[in-house]
Amino acid sequence: MFKKILIANRGEIAVRIIRTCREMGIETVTIYSEADRDALHVQMADEAICVGPAKTADSYLNMENIISATVLSGAEAIHPGFGFLSENSKFAKMCKECKIVFIGPTGEQMDQMGNKSQARKTMIKAGVPVVPGSDGAVKNVEEGLQIAKDIGFPIMIKASSGGGGRGMRIAQNEEAFTKAFSLAQTEAQSAFGDPTMYIEKYIENPRHIEFQIVADQYGNVIHLGERDCSIQRRHQKIIEETPSPVMTPDLRQAMGEAAIRAAKAIGYQNAGTVEFLVDKSKKFYFMEMNTRIQVEHPITEMVTGLDLIEEQIKIAAGFPLAYAQKDIQIKGHAIECRINAEDPAKGFLPSPGTITELYVPGGLGVRVDSAIYHGYAIPPYYDSMIAKLIVHGDTREKAMARMKRALGEFILHGVSTNIDFHYDILHDVDFQKGEYDTGFIQKKNFLSQ
Amino acid sequence: MLGGFFKKTKYITMPRKTQVKSISHLNFLGVQEEVQPSIPDGMWQKCKKCGQILYTKDVEEQDQVCPDCGYHFRLSASQRIQQLMDPDTFEPWDEDLVLQNPLQDNKYLEKMKQLQEQTGLGDALISGKGSLGGYAIVLGVMDSGFLMGSMGTVVGEKLTRAIERATQQKLPVVLFTASGGARMQEGIFSLMQMAKTSAALAKHQEAGLLSIIVLTDPTTGGVTASFAMLGDIILAEPEALIGFAGPRVIRQTIGQQLPEGFQTSEFLLQHGFIDQIVTRKEMKEVITKILALHEGVKV
Repeated sequence: MFKKILIANRGEIAVRIIRTCREMGIETVTIYSEADRDALHVQMADEAICVGPAKTADSYLNMENIISATVLSGAEAIHPGFGFLSENSKFAKMCKECKIVFIGPTGEQMDQMGNKSQARKTMIKAGVPVVPGSDGAVKNVEEGLQIAKDIGFPIMIKASSGGGGRGMRIAQNEEAFTKAFSLAQTEAQSAFGDPTMYIEKYIENPRHIEFQIVADQYGNVIHLGERDCSIQRRHQKIIEETPSPVMTPDLRQAMGEAAIRAAKAIGYQNAGTVEFLVDKSKKFYFMEMNTRIQVEHPITEMVTGLDLIEEQIKIAAGFPLAYAQKDIQIKGHAIECRINAEDPAKGFLPSPGTITELYVPGGLGVRVDSAIYHGYAIPPYYDSMIAKLIVHGDTREKAMARMKRALGEFILHGVSTNIDFHYDILHDVDFQKGEYDTGFIQKKNFLSQ
Repeated sequence: MLGGFFKKTKYITMPRKTQVKSISHLNFLGVQEEVQPSIPDGMWQKCKKCGQILYTKDVEEQDQVCPDCGYHFRLSASQRIQQLMDPDTFEPWDEDLVLQNPLQDNKYLEKMKQLQEQTGLGDALISGKGSLGGYAIVLGVMDSGFLMGSMGTVVGEKLTRAIERATQQKLPVVLFTASGGARMQEGIFSLMQMAKTSAALAKHQEAGLLSIIVLTDPTTGGVTASFAMLGDIILAEPEALIGFAGPRVIRQTIGQQLPEGFQTSEFLLQHGFIDQIVTRKEMKEVITKILALHEGVKV
């Protein structure tokens, strides 16, 4: 087992990783930018190394400094968290070159899933259902148009190197297709440096249901259930819950097995998430695979009782999985609300500032993962998520009641937050019935949209 | 602030640990392996111009050009050929030419044997025939990694033979120079190569054939004073050192301070010594265009 791990991240996930390392008796080193001198993760870790100025590219993405910091501090492994370098195959390969264990998949596995059209091809071969569309990359706009005519409009045009909602355009009909294709391609070239495109049938307002998988280095792969992440604003998740209100045991088995097949198809190792789209008739399609630990992992932890960060560390240290699929039990219901420092009244404009009053909710079944504290000045350079409020209850009704109660207790002054926004969603009739899809936020016009 | 709640952290500003702990991996057979994290030599390098620390693989991807400031690192002859020529078309000539050691200098012989083993090169020039952008050419590339690319009898002979064959087969000649000048260890025989190569090139030009010379960093001494400055078209890589005598010698001789940027490609371009400065990225395209203009566009 590792004696010391370097955490190449910041904010609440860095705190999260430090906590598990502490429990496992592993020494922790964190990195920080000049703007994060007062951050919680810097104070919590055993050692902290400044790796650069505030700008992300010069600090949290500064591969050279991070590798140097790792070697200097004597850390044997790096946990990249999520975002930043967590899905950067070049960085993963660099770690390997320096004999540093990267806690996550290999660089090659990242590349396979990072190239979306390639991933699509791999899934088709593995027998994982995909959205009807091109086989892999589309050679040119003419080929795209032909495929589009075959599968039927509306069509989603996507960038191979994009993901998470970027580099996409919808074409409603043949006339709109050519223009949409060249626009999307130009955008892809400038944003990702890769003009390769692929196309899929556009599924109107699907549900976004993802499966958590863990795989060790010996070919064992299990899934830990699903997460319904359909409550999104502009392709950014706001609320996640597990189990999904529309899930049935049969569907879970089919999707779970598909997720495992997807991971095994590339020999994946460590934690990962397979994202599916589920349409109105409960047909599911592979969307993409995220080769990292995700923001919403806590709700899976609440219902399975597992510590996913610990699992990641054990896998990276070479231990085989301690559980088989039959050992995994989903107990109760969990919901997570992402608390962002933003102003919903001003179009969700990020609202950095100093926290003047803070009361964090507690009690049975309430968990708050965050890196904020009373008097903390939230820097403006990084993303606006400042806390995750997670609740667990025996049933969905109990969980929702608990979340409403917890949101009501949450006092955060000094910055604007979306806590009231969450409160409104929890009180929405359709949300309470579990009848929602990815078009929910837009349709509902909460607060000022 | 939360000072006092948590264990005091140390802010590291200088290396404090040189000893690295090793870790145990539990491999498939349950056997512990000891692994020590360390940065392998050569994984990172410093740019000579902007001082940035660069990931070597990034530099290689850019054909040995700094991704930040565009500084051109020196290329070996084989790297140059790889980058320039159409794949699988280059046929090297005269690889078996053996050093004659005309001054009977044993130390020189020793040194040469060592270098040959180290670099895998026979001498400081690779010559041959190949296709560039679809055009058949005779190519000569010097390697500054072999005794500073100095020109001795083998380099001179290889070059002359290549140029003569080009004259015979009516092919254009493309030469890349990188040299500290004539090879001292072969005395007057090295000097002779200046005349020999210049004469061969003159005959090539008399036959109405095209010669393109690309000056790379560094090109000095007897090479500059002979064939390097005799091409029909003379190109240079950016910021290359191109000159004849060393700056100190010149300063002492003329008794004056030397102007800013003396002996760089840019200075030479300004003063009419070369035709164009071409970056490594554009090199193949530019040469192909020149060939097309002279040979006619390939169908």
